[in-house]
Amino acid sequence: MGVLSRNFKPNFLGLLKFLNNMNWFIVFFSLINLSLCIYEDQIGKFDWRQTYVGRIKFAQFDTVSTAKKIIVATEENVLAALNLKTGQVVWRHVFESASAGNIQLLHVGDKITTVTGSNPYLVRGWDPATGVLMWEWSLILQNDERADYSEWWVQNNMLVHLLPAFGSHLEVTMYNLLTGGNRGATSKLPAIWSNDGCILTAPYYTCVSGDMGSQILLTLDVTSNAIQIISKPLSNYINLQQSIGGNLRPLDNSVVPGFIVDDKKVLLIRNNSFEVVGKELEDEIASATVVDGANGPVLMQTWTDDVKGFQLTAYSISTNSEVPEIHCSDSTLSIPEAEILAAMCTRHAREQHACRILVNGADDAVHLMQQGGRLLWSREEALANVVAAEFVDLPVSETDAAIESEFDQKEGSVWSAFSRRLHSQFTQLQNVIKNLQGQGAPDQSTNALVRDYFNLHKIIVLITDAGKIFGMDNLSGEILWRRYEPGLDTESVVVYTRRSARHPPYDAYLTIVGKHEETGNGYVISLNPITGNLVGEQRMKLDVRILQCSLLHQADSEKLHALVLLDEDETVQVFPISATSLVENLYLYVADKHTGKVQGYALKYNGVSVEAQRTWSVQLGGSGPAQIVATATRSRLERVRSPGRALADRSVLYKYSNPNLVLFVVEKPDPTHKEVVTAVALDAVSGALIGASSHRRARALPLAVHADNCFAYLYRSEKHRRLEIATMELYEGKERWLEPGVAFSSFASDRAPAVERQAYILPASPTAATFTITERSLTDRHVLLGLTTGAVIEMPWAYLEARRGLGGGDEALLPYTPELPLPAEATLNYNRTVERVRGVLTAPAGLESTSLVLVTGLDLFYTRVAPSKTFDLLKDDFDYFLITVVLAALIVATYSTKYFASRKMLKLAWK
Amino acid sequence: MFRLDILFISLGVITNVFCALNSVEEETGNGRYVIEGRVFPPEDLDPTNWQVDTRIHVNGGEYIGFIKDDGSFAVHNVPTGSYVVEIVHPDYFYEPIRVEINSKGKYRARKVNYVQTSQIIQVPYPLRMKAMSKIRYFQVREQWRLTDFLFNPMVIMMVLPLLLIMVLPKMMNDPETKEDLKQISNMAKMSEFPEMSEMFTSLFSGGAAKANVKAKQVKKRQ
Repeated sequence: MGVLSRNFKPNFLGLLKFLNNMNWFIVFFSLINLSLCIYEDQIGKFDWRQTYVGRIKFAQFDTVSTAKKIIVATEENVLAALNLKTGQVVWRHVFESASAGNIQLLHVGDKITTVTGSNPYLVRGWDPATGVLMWEWSLILQNDERADYSEWWVQNNMLVHLLPAFGSHLEVTMYNLLTGGNRGATSKLPAIWSNDGCILTAPYYTCVSGDMGSQILLTLDVTSNAIQIISKPLSNYINLQQSIGGNLRPLDNSVVPGFIVDDKKVLLIRNNSFEVVGKELEDEIASATVVDGANGPVLMQTWTDDVKGFQLTAYSISTNSEVPEIHCSDSTLSIPEAEILAAMCTRHAREQHACRILVNGADDAVHLMQQGGRLLWSREEALANVVAAEFVDLPVSETDAAIESEFDQKEGSVWSAFSRRLHSQFTQLQNVIKNLQGQGAPDQSTNALVRDYFNLHKIIVLITDAGKIFGMDNLSGEILWRRYEPGLDTESVVVYTRRSARHPPYDAYLTIVGKHEETGNGYVISLNPITGNLVGEQRMKLDVRILQCSLLHQADSEKLHALVLLDEDETVQVFPISATSLVENLYLYVADKHTGKVQGYALKYNGVSVEAQRTWSVQLGGSGPAQIVATATRSRLERVRSPGRALADRSVLYKYSNPNLVLFVVEKPDPTHKEVVTAVALDAVSGALIGASSHRRARALPLAVHADNCFAYLYRSEKHRRLEIATMELYEGKERWLEPGVAFSSFASDRAPAVERQAYILPASPTAATFTITERSLTDRHVLLGLTTGAVIEMPWAYLEARRGLGGGDEALLPYTPELPLPAEATLNYNRTVERVRGVLTAPAGLESTSLVLVTGLDLFYTRVAPSKTFDLLKDDFDYFLITVVLAALIVATYSTKYFASRKMLKLAWK
Repeated sequence: MFRLDILFISLGVITNVFCALNSVEEETGNGRYVIEGRVFPPEDLDPTNWQVDTRIHVNGGEYIGFIKDDGSFAVHNVPTGSYVVEIVHPDYFYEPIRVEINSKGKYRARKVNYVQTSQIIQVPYPLRMKAMSKIRYFQVREQWRLTDFLFNPMVIMMVLPLLLIMVLPKMMNDPETKEDLKQISNMAKMSEFPEMSEMFTSLFSGGAAKANVKAKQVKKRQ
């Protein structure tokens, strides 16, 4: 018996252990199943994607292929083909975002040629119809310093490279376009007259040289074997007494090489001589090009007049007359600083012009026009570079507002309340009747922007790098309003919703705090996010730079949250000024990105104005300068509802819920470990250090997130050559520090919370990270990561939890696994790739289960996620038909059996 | 001069050795190298334009390569170092590969292992990237089937008692079955089956006695 037990006991224990392990697996797999994933028939139901290419740098019409296209190369290092009829992207190639992807040349012949990079250069050939790569070769210039002045063009199937050495010579090299052959055969052309004001209008290199007042205009065909210099005194063309003289501007995309002198005279180079066009530029800033017209070349000009709006004119060079059909003067068309990117005219039978003109604006929008100025399509390419965005609630409908206001009015007798009730119900009845009669239909279009029942319908306000601000419908992705602010420098721009639309009769109020383009001083724009009109302070130019800005917690009598600005001189400005007295218990911090110094301020109202007092100061990462790579603060929308989490032994582990926490991720050079990444969690009010962790031989990524008591940040481990995501969680312990319901105060407690730390390997490289936010923060919290592959993945916090340990113990925790799983089902945007993700924005919906997600980058992608599944909503495949049929059948069965039962009773009674 | 010659010769020998080890060695000057390979599209993929949708990302887009018509690719101007080469396609999954280029320009390609970074499983270079599988982004919607419904234990639990309630009384009413039942019950009474409990007790007591005997024998030997 003893032998038996000895044999069996360990095995039995093993079995128990095995079962325990199995338990883990069951938990694990059930969690995998929990992860969000949509069904195939839900494609496009909750999401949309818009593809962009960025501000267009070069554009050429592809007239060779059967399907007409425009080939564009952009400032965002994208090569794309746009459909000529619709403006949609046919194919697109995204190059490196760094200087290695800079597009230097776009040439469209029967094949597309691009030159990208900046020494080393890459020459690639593409098939215009499909976009497939045809050839590719690399080119390294020996002379690195002057490489930036390189000029490229394609001529007779040869790639020509021109490298000027100002004041001495020009180096011209020709390469075989397909192979890059003929290396080293560089011809040096003496040109002591060259300077940095010279321009290239292939193949002519043109300069203005000589002393003031007696300048000479020189042009050289750099590709011809014989050196032929055309030189003429500049005074032949312009009056040197009146102007400074000698400013050259090339005619881009022109069929005849030519240039503009002093923004006035247009000169063409034909038959080895200059030819003055009989018409001067109509406006100094006009953009001009020469296209092939019905009879000879046509000079086309476009500019934006302050009064008359967009202007387009054309002048036939050969007949010396205006072309009447190519003309437009439209004050409604707002294209700031219009310039012609490309133009093409086809000859018609009746000698009329049918032109397509691609016009670019300073607001990055690109428009394709017909000769008469009719817009065929427009693309808002500013949206390829969104720097900040905000979800804004829509106002409730008028009837709902009336009902709400009815309950707001507390005073008054019972009878007045009763009469109000009757009145509002009467208006409701009227609306119903109107809708039934179909009279309400025309109103619908204007009133469509009202809040829906679950508050899923919102407006997204997008601020772009170009200074253009958009209001977008989140359900359809349609642009509702747009506003171009040329004075706004959007570097480190901040957006605040100062009043939501739920306080009728007051309108919603949104404020954008940025810098002024010219001065770098503070620039504040306030607008109504529903309509896009300026409100309140409108455009406000400050005369100082802003250090930090914040919103007041308390709203004033008009439900408006005041804007608090701390400027360079450490003085405080409050807008509106009437709210100055409301400043109380307000603390700010200012972190210097380059030195790693953080300064805390306390703002106090002294009866007259608000003063900022320096309270604490911290040098992050120890002594010596350190660089702050990322910071993370709690979202303004987040509300924490649960004080702790239940453990397996039914006790509660209380969270350290400090709303004032800020996480700084600091990178610092180290003599022994190369680089050390330190993450520091500070209390921004008291300056107290709450938690920290450091990683040796690592480089920090500018990604950090914080919500509730959780932190996560990313770094690249140089030692293991992999990306790791580190998480921190703060806990008070098994006992609560504060009584339930007592507000947290950073000054009240000097106890330090327990810090749990963990790190995981992430087998992908993210470029954006954020937490999901829900209305009451009761649903699970997921981390959304935008990856370089173009996928946006949803990572449940359960995987990232800092308390995941090797041993079991807590059934709610997964056992530690070093590498995080990235299942394909967790991809929010399935196969709709979002190129170059720059930001992920989340906002709560009215439904607790749902969080709205906007992904910005080169493309825009919107969807909604339900981290704990939609527990408060019927499934969208809920079978209403089946349930109706079953119900109807049951009712029928009930009544029929009743009838049969009564008949049977009758028969029985007769027996 | 003589020493220099030796140096040159030895250098030549070394480069020759490297060539023998790895014939595909290419340097474009300035310490910049080219990562080459070929992508094999999955068979079931629509052959139109897969080259445009597929991108080569080196170190998460630090260097980007494009695919030619025949599936070959080259990522130019890469300095020495260790790189993860990924093939990015919206619908198909390719396994990433780590390519290491040392300071002498020698290439080594191996499988990516983020957990055990020292483990090396070499793969051939130039890279040959084959599509592993189609990425499944979507959940399969459950469909209503009659068999699922019928074999649901709840349904069976409901239907079987219903059958018993409805059918058994009818059978009882039938006179023939009544007689049959009577006969069965009589049979049961007549035959004297040993009771189960008794059977078990006898079985176990017998077994136990034998075991005891064995135990005694063991003791005696000791």
